[in-house]
Parts: sequence; structure tokens; C-alpha cells
Amino acid sequence: MNKNHVTSAERFLKDKEGAQWHNETLWITREKRDKMAMGIPEWEELRELASSIKMHAITHLDEYLLQFAEAAEKNGATVHWAKDATEHNEIVLDLLRKHNAVKVVKSKSMLTEECCLDDFLCDNGINVIESDLGERILQLLNQPPSHIVMPAIHLKRQIIGKLFEEKLHTEEGNSDPTYLTGCMRENLRQEFLSTEVAMTGANFGIAETGDVVVCTNEGNADMGTSQANVHIVSMGIEKVIPDRDSLAVFTRLLARSATGQPITSYTSQYRKPRKGGELHIILVDNGRSDILGNKEHMQTLKCIRCGACMNTCPVYRRSGGYSYSYFIPGPIGINLGMLKSPQEYYTNLSACTLCFSCNNVCPVKIDLGNQIYRWRQSLDSIGKANPAKKMLSNGMSILFNHPGFFRSALQMAPVVNKIPRPLKYNKFNKWGEGRELPEFAPETFTSWWNKNVKR
Amino acid sequence: MNSKDQILNSIRQHSQVKYDRPVIAPDAIQFSDKVKQFIDESKRVGGDAVLLKDGEDVNQLIANLYPDAKTIASNVANITSTMNPDLVDTPRQLNGIDLGIVEGEIGVAENGAVWIPQNVKERAFYFIVDHLIILLSKDKLVNNMHEAYKMQQFTGYGFGVFISGPSKTADIEQALVKGAHGAKGVTVILL
Repeated sequence: MNKNHVTSAERFLKDKEGAQWHNETLWITREKRDKMAMGIPEWEELRELASSIKMHAITHLDEYLLQFAEAAEKNGATVHWAKDATEHNEIVLDLLRKHNAVKVVKSKSMLTEECCLDDFLCDNGINVIESDLGERILQLLNQPPSHIVMPAIHLKRQIIGKLFEEKLHTEEGNSDPTYLTGCMRENLRQEFLSTEVAMTGANFGIAETGDVVVCTNEGNADMGTSQANVHIVSMGIEKVIPDRDSLAVFTRLLARSATGQPITSYTSQYRKPRKGGELHIILVDNGRSDILGNKEHMQTLKCIRCGACMNTCPVYRRSGGYSYSYFIPGPIGINLGMLKSPQEYYTNLSACTLCFSCNNVCPVKIDLGNQIYRWRQSLDSIGKANPAKKMLSNGMSILFNHPGFFRSALQMAPVVNKIPRPLKYNKFNKWGEGRELPEFAPETFTSWWNKNVKR
Repeated sequence: MNSKDQILNSIRQHSQVKYDRPVIAPDAIQFSDKVKQFIDESKRVGGDAVLLKDGEDVNQLIANLYPDAKTIASNVANITSTMNPDLVDTPRQLNGIDLGIVEGEIGVAENGAVWIPQNVKERAFYFIVDHLIILLSKDKLVNNMHEAYKMQQFTGYGFGVFISGPSKTADIEQALVKGAHGAKGVTVILL
């Protein structure tokens, strides 16, 4: 994957039709979200509540995690603590080995994506089956998700039809979504029925009761966990919320913000293991507790992974998830990437027009745009300011700080109109790429004013 | 130091300003006709809901709704079925059931969701059947999720699920398809 958002986006935009479809489709999702939000008179009150609950929960995280773990263990679950991705992956592998499992059926989890669990398990001889339709398609194509809720949004049906022909022996040339979904239903049904271990992520953990809450539309999480004897939950420590009153707020916001549905088809609450089975909950830190100490960016921990900021983002819609170098794209991904490793992911910062639309749709009111702005201000301090832009900024600083200098520059500006094009638009002028300089007026406003208005 | 303590220590070390828990009592949406709203919403989420009329026989209604169902499974008293799902040895044996009939505990008017605390032997039952009928007393309809969570109860199984319409996906070009993995159709019968 190319590390530079600008060049990757150029590649994405080469397929004009595909890019337009991507943009329009995500915008439709944004419109569905708006319709849902407008149908709830107390919508803004809910967003404010959700934000306050999360701020409270993440600033009392030690207390709530302990309460959650205690309640879960009382319910018969086993709670594991993983400080990083490596430890998380080892715990999963250990559990699989303990049960002599050679296969695990998974439902969608961005956390296991973050931990690169699938690759780790495959390297250790485990057959990993992703069971969310989009995730399964991508697994068969050996691609990462390009959106956190609609992972295969970048793919056209013909590609999926071809893939299924090869892997599932479906009818040649048939790329009808209903047909293809039905074929995968049959195929994965057999995997569900024969698995000993199932894995899920967690949308929420309730401290009061020890419940793990998983929201899906397909029912794949439940198909797996209700057949397997062992259920392993991977849960980021920031997913814990105080109680069911809090959960009520989030179940009202999540699907409305994500896909424009009033709620997901299934909102499952796992409290006890299946009779005779085991429930393992892995609480994963992997850098989250460090973020608590970062006042300017701690709000990212409020995120409930709905994807609304991607659907509304004019840059995401027109550049696609793969243009970002961090595994989570869009406004939230830009910020999470910077928190993970600024040196590695700083180029994503250019993927923002500072329109702040993300701030306005975020159901937990994360200040996404402000954060991106702040990261940009700090680029120079990490040695990543663009030298050409830095030079220009320094030049402008001199210009705008010296009125005399500024006035003479303005008077001379019309000369630029006459400069031959190749001298203005060349590889040294980054701002000239894709942009046209406006024509300078023959006279400055001040001189016009002095001549015509001022007496 | 074990990982648990390391994580908790790191949290304590990094935590700064503490924020209070807000009072969670929003002025949440209410409906003058919860039955009508619930039925409309059930249809909007791709499912269905029907109100049993006075004097109408529920078994007759089910037979009319799903005339082609061959394997019908239910553990609900006085419901006509061809098998009792509680008599299976493994959840795998529930595969291939045309129609499952279960009881729900709470219906939510704002989103068509029905709360079902596990009330059959295998939780797989709610997901694996081709079509699901949920029987729900119309007196158990609430306006919104805040009210629902105030009433939520669990059985000894320790599992429960809100179901709103059928299993669905739009992962292929955003085209909506019902029956991704779970039930292809869900009908709530309000009693």
C-alpha cells in the first residue's frame, strides 16, 4: 500500500466511474443517517449524553474495568488482560491450542484487525474463517477492509461474482447480490456448524452486569457463538460503559449514525457461557491507556466505530479507504494513526479540508477536525513539515508582518498575469497542481478607494 | 507485575481530569399509538408485525402466514409445531428448520426490536431457523430503548437478544439482501 494519501487518491480517482459511485453511495448513507437523526427530536441531547457518558467512563476506566471484570467472572466468564497486540494474539492461540482447535470462526472486529490476529493465527496453522459477508469476501481476496462498517464498499459486484465462481463454484457470470449472498450463506453455514471456537469483538461491555454487547445485522456473531463451545471476545478497554441506562443511549445512536437504521438487526447481550461451554473475554490495552494522558487527543477514546465520519467526509468519499496508510481510514483513522505512530502515518493529515462535517455527525461528539488541525500545527516539531510549504509559510509570515512590503507586493502582483505559464506552473509550485491562479486586478483596492471614494 | 496491574497502573498514571457521570434521563420520543408505530417500524426494518384480532386463532394465523413451512419448531405451550427445539442434543440439530416460533418479552416501538431473554435450550434457535415468529403481548410495548432497558430481565441462561427484523446485509454494492446468515424473515405477532 502506498504511504502517501495524495498519490494513492490519484490512483483511486483514475477509475472515474468507480470513484463517483463510491462518493454517491456513501453520501446516500449519510443522508439516511440524517433522516434518522431528524426523526428523533432529542437527537442532539442524545449525542451530548453519549459524549458525557464516554468522557465519564474513560476517565474512570480503572474502576469500571475492575467492576466489569468482577461481574463477568461472577457470571462464569474468564477475563484475560492483554497489554498489547502480541499478548492478545498469544492468549487467543493458547485458548485454541488448549481446545485442540484447528479452526476459528470470527465475526467482524476492528480490534483483531488492529492486532493482525488473522495473519498470526494462520502462521500458526489455524484456519481462520471471517463470517461477516464483506469481511469474508476480503479475506478470500486477501485484502484489508476499506471502511470499518462497510468493509467491501470499494468492490463492484462483478469482482465478487468472479471470486465466488473460483472459490465457491457459483454460476458463471452471475453477480446478482441476492444470489451471491445466498451462496455464501450455504457455504458459511457449514463452517458455523462445525466450529469448536467462535470469536467476536465487542461493541460495549457493561460494568454493572458484566454483559458483552455485540451488534450485527447479519447475525453471524450469533451463528458462530451459539454453535461453538468456546466463545472468545476481543474487547478494547475503552469499550466499557457504566450500566444499562448508558447502553440505551448508545443503542439508539450506533446504527442510526452508521447505516441509517433505527437499530441493528441483532443486539446480543452475552452474560454467561453456553451450558457446558466457555466464555473468554480479553481486555486489550494496546496503547489506549497512554492516550488518556494526551489531553488534546483523548477524545478519540470515545469512538464507538460507527463510521459516520467516513461517510460524510468529502475526502474519504472521493479517495477511498485504501488511500489512507492506517488500517482505519477517514477522520477517526487519521487521528488514531497519529496516536499510534506520527512518523509512520503523518501523510494522512493531508486528507482533510477542515470542513468539520465529521464533528457534526459524530454521535459521541469527538472533535475530529480540531484534532487534525492540531496535529498539522505540530508537524514541524516532529520534523515532518513539507519543506516547500514551510518556505512559503515563512515567506508569507514576513510579507504579512511588514505592511510596506505587503503593499508593494500587491502593486506588483498584476505582473504575475503576464508571466508565461511554464514559469508559474511547474514542479516547484506544488500549489499549482490541480489549481489555477486567479487573475490579479490591474489596480489594488486601496488605490481604487483612494481615487474614487476617499475625498 | 502482571498485565492486569500494568494496564490499571498505566490508566491511573495517565488519567487526568475526572468527568462526572451525567444524569441519563433524556426527554425521549413517545408515541400516541405504540401498536401502530411498532407495526410500521417492523415493516421498515424488513420484517413484519401483525395484530391478532379478537377471536382469531393464533395457530390459524401462523398457518396462513407460512403455509409452506414443513418443519415447525416451538416450545411455546398451545402452539402447533412438528418438533420441540428443547429436545435436541446439540445446536447443530436445529439446522434446516423452516419456521421457529418463540416468545418475546419487550417490544420497542421506536425501532421494531423485540427483547428475547434466552427461553429455549439452545440460543442458536433464534438465528438458525429460516423464518422466525415472535409472539409478543401488545401490553409489553414500550416507546424507546431507555424504557426497554429499565424492564430488561435475563433468564438463567444468561443470554438475551434484541431482534429487529430479519438478518440482512448490504455488503455487495450496498444492495440490501435478507437472510445473510440468520432468519430470512421475522414476523412479530402481537397478542
